[in-house]
Amino acid sequence: MAQHTLEVIVENSPGVLARVAGLFSRRAYNIERLSVGPTANPETSKMQIVVNLDGHALEQVIAQLDKLINVIAIKEILQESAQPTVHDTQPDYQN
Amino acid sequence: MSQMNGASSLVASLEACGVDVMFGIPGGAILPAYDPIFSSPIRHILVRHEQGAGHAATGYAQVTGRVGVCIATSGPGATNLVTPLADAAMDSVPVVAITGQVPSVAIGTDAFQEADIRGITMPFTKHNYLITDPAQIPRAIAEAFHIASTGRPGPVLVDIAKDALQKMTDFEFPTSISLKGYQPQAVPNTQSIIDAADLIAQSSKPIFYVGGGVIKAEASRELLELAQLLGAPVVTTLMARGAFPDSHPLHLGMPGMHGTVAAVTGLQKADLLITLGARFDDRVTGKLSTFAVNAKVIHADIDPAEIGKNRFADVAVLGDLKHTIAALIPALRSALSKNRPDLTPWLHQMNSLQSAYPLGYDTPKDGALSPQYVIERLGKISGPHAIFAAGVGQHQMWASQFISYENPRTWLNSGGLGTMGYAVPAAMGAKVGAPDTTVWAIDGDGCFQMTNQELVTCALNNIPIKVAIINNESLGMVRQWQTLFYEGRYSNTNLESKRVPNFPMLAEAMGCIGLSCERAEDVDEIIEKAMNINDQPVVVDFRVHRDAMVWPMVAAGTSNDDIMIARETAPDWDSQEL
Repeated sequence: MAQHTLEVIVENSPGVLARVAGLFSRRAYNIERLSVGPTANPETSKMQIVVNLDGHALEQVIAQLDKLINVIAIKEILQESAQPTVHDTQPDYQN
Repeated sequence: MSQMNGASSLVASLEACGVDVMFGIPGGAILPAYDPIFSSPIRHILVRHEQGAGHAATGYAQVTGRVGVCIATSGPGATNLVTPLADAAMDSVPVVAITGQVPSVAIGTDAFQEADIRGITMPFTKHNYLITDPAQIPRAIAEAFHIASTGRPGPVLVDIAKDALQKMTDFEFPTSISLKGYQPQAVPNTQSIIDAADLIAQSSKPIFYVGGGVIKAEASRELLELAQLLGAPVVTTLMARGAFPDSHPLHLGMPGMHGTVAAVTGLQKADLLITLGARFDDRVTGKLSTFAVNAKVIHADIDPAEIGKNRFADVAVLGDLKHTIAALIPALRSALSKNRPDLTPWLHQMNSLQSAYPLGYDTPKDGALSPQYVIERLGKISGPHAIFAAGVGQHQMWASQFISYENPRTWLNSGGLGTMGYAVPAAMGAKVGAPDTTVWAIDGDGCFQMTNQELVTCALNNIPIKVAIINNESLGMVRQWQTLFYEGRYSNTNLESKRVPNFPMLAEAMGCIGLSCERAEDVDEIIEKAMNINDQPVVVDFRVHRDAMVWPMVAAGTSNDDIMIARETAPDWDSQEL
């Protein structure tokens, strides 16, 4: 799996880091690396999130992140070795 | 703009949002808000447990389509709302919960009745707030109602520190709301509609896979027109019962773990799933890798994260289903005018499955009462406009199977979270939202013992719901699994509820009429009797056969192809042309 870097612009409000981290945790995705910093606009912050996900799983993470009300924009920072997206084998439930 | 304290600002904001009723219980941290509530035109219904307030708000919202409101104090009051909020999130119900929080200086000190309810509810609220500044109250409330009721509906919690309720502030209700990170797309992209219509016009075995989104979008009429235009079969999921009339000849019934053979097989054998506001839940798909393997998928939904979550969508249509279906009708008419596949063989196959494998049940040989018979009669006698709220388990499945739903918003249940104890408080909320309609809670004896305290609330507040307890003295669905998968070892599923409690006496103690029935020949008379009591809640203890099981069944984790119509009995596929 290739590493992907997401740049996420969020509202600079209390609890926003917990919302993002909690989303990754409860949907069983790993964060490889995370940094949070200011932007020129004091009302927003920028998160850089590195994930080890491809295809379907990556699309899901982005779609779910985008549902957080405090998330304003998400873009993927493309790397030179970027792989074309493919659809993963999807999960089966056993309960 | 006027000066008032935060509590008055909260109540003025709720009034400005058009709230007419809320369900709650006061306590220390929320106490300042209860003073202006005392003189507000908003009806506050004092429940007996906060979980009841949450499910009542949900029932109210599901029947009216409006936002349901519940209110509780900090700590245990707030944590008691956790289950109904998780329930509302799973079933996409617009609910706003208001909770008091300890004073802002005490937050983080493990103060008396402190719980981080914002942190606790993050995973299952659409959004939530912690307010410590009274000036923020009107905007937070306005945003909460906006977020709860638009896009894919869901619960929003607003936690307000006690000092923010006490301090003076200027009340000014926002005239507009703009959230940079929340702009749901209501109107679908035109190209996606054309692509969907073209794909439908190329399909010879299409099926409408209809989910609860159709009811939320108030799109039942549009769906009827679309389905009749194409003439393809329709299945309605557990959350969508009533979205399409059960009596309609194109309706195959409910798909999924306890769906009809025709609905389950229709999805399996289709070449195109026209998915409208459904989410490919595991209870519908069975083993996902074997679900509808030859079908292409059109997935129309308002939530972009649902599209492609469990199943790849060949055509994704993002938008409000009312707009989507309305746009699809002329587009499909035009596509069909160029190419109209013959659906007759497909419909013939489905009709023959329907007549070969209708829903049915055995009458117990010992003369005991069939639970399915009771539920069937409840549906027939109460008529197509009555509202039914079910708990979770066997009785829920039978209530979905054996009552004919003709209208949206007449079937309420906890589909996603599977919350036992949902029925009584949800029926209470439903009756408040639709006071002139008959509201039945169809409950199990296990479920009923979790939340029946709200019957006191109903009795005292003139909320005359009717409750049918399907008393098989067991946790029936768990017992069914023990019968099928655990060699009949009935570990902790025997509730003995034909001995204790005495349900009619319990009902009478709570200010309701209590009735009991254990013979088939008495069922109609007792239902009629309950139907004629409209000034008090009524509880009927239907003492039914213990070993009745829910069929058909697709066992958890197996393929829909392995549907069983009775124990160790598969449909006779060789006699079917599929």
